Amino acid sequence: MSESRPYLRAQPRHWWAHSPYRAYTIRELSGVALALYAAILLAGLASLARGPAAFETYRQFLASPLSLLIHLLLLAAAVWHMWTWFQILPKTMPKLVWRGRLIRQDVMSLTATVVAVVCSLLLLSLFILVGAYL
Amino acid sequence: MPEMTAPKTIELRVLRYCPSRDSAPAFGSFQVPYTDDMSVLQALQQIKATLDGSLAFRWSCRMAVCGSCGMMINGEPRLACNTFLRDLAPDAVTIEPLQNFPIERDLVVTVGDFVKKIESIYPYVMPKAPKTIEQGTYLQTPAEMEAYASFADCINCMLCYAACPQFGANPDFIGPGAMALLQRYSSDSRDGGQQARLDRIRGEDGVWSCTAVGICSEVCPKQVDPANAVNQNKSKSALDFFLSRLRKETVS
Repeated sequence: MSESRPYLRAQPRHWWAHSPYRAYTIRELSGVALALYAAILLAGLASLARGPAAFETYRQFLASPLSLLIHLLLLAAAVWHMWTWFQILPKTMPKLVWRGRLIRQDVMSLTATVVAVVCSLLLLSLFILVGAYL
Repeated sequence: MPEMTAPKTIELRVLRYCPSRDSAPAFGSFQVPYTDDMSVLQALQQIKATLDGSLAFRWSCRMAVCGSCGMMINGEPRLACNTFLRDLAPDAVTIEPLQNFPIERDLVVTVGDFVKKIESIYPYVMPKAPKTIEQGTYLQTPAEMEAYASFADCINCMLCYAACPQFGANPDFIGPGAMALLQRYSSDSRDGGQQARLDRIRGEDGVWSCTAVGICSEVCPKQVDPANAVNQNKSKSALDFFLSRLRKETVS
């Protein structure tokens, strides 16, 4: 008779809160911050559609210290999300072979991050320039 | 063999489970003399030889090639043969069987489901156009080989499965190791079995249980990067889903 009686231990319930999974949890949660920021922009659009008075209220909210604090926190979360997103980017891509050799994953992450930062800065300067001359 | 007169000792807390005797696993403690060149595997062998002959664990090559001695060492999935006591001393070392797998006995886990998963992904080159011996061999450039070579380094140690919380939540998830092997064949320039393998990895039990946690690649003792294998195939599986809507023969 077989004595086999396999015992399956339950997965720890709060695995996502502990190292090494905590970094993953924070990375994914920082994506929620992007959704929150999109909701704030959407609220602005809705206020614009409702008329000048509603939009003025929205503008006043944006200028409030609470709104500045929220935006700073959201910016930090968005920057963190971008940084960690490009860290896992090489995991989601086909291997790149150049001159018969594999391109290192940290080089791929760095290149993508630099391109994202340069594009963001270009977009920001474009808005500032357009705002100054229009 | 390490010297039995070594002055230093270290405590090993080993999770024990005997199916004919225990209702649940419980820790047993052993004081083991050790030297700086001893691995955790050697400590387990010493326990078995001198302290408790009933201790069960798998091992073979002692040099991180066979993939047999994967276990949780201080909560991390590691190979016992390339984890050294000098890096863990003087604290007690906790040794458990691989997380997420059913325990057969002590540190030995059930591997049947993993083997079935490996078999299910057609783990061999399926030539695009079969050749006769007279037509010669299937040729490949070094650059073409580079595209899959790292995935061929997998030693089936299952550390990636023990590190994967999604496999813990869904034992039917094909998991990182089998996906690394799938990628090894599907990205081989000589292979034509991509569609057969894509059919295997649809849905929750295929690639889609993966949420890119990425720890599978961090614990891999061979730098196989199974997370890359899974996520490359997510893109392919998504593309396959849309293309399958266009293909006449698969429209039901």
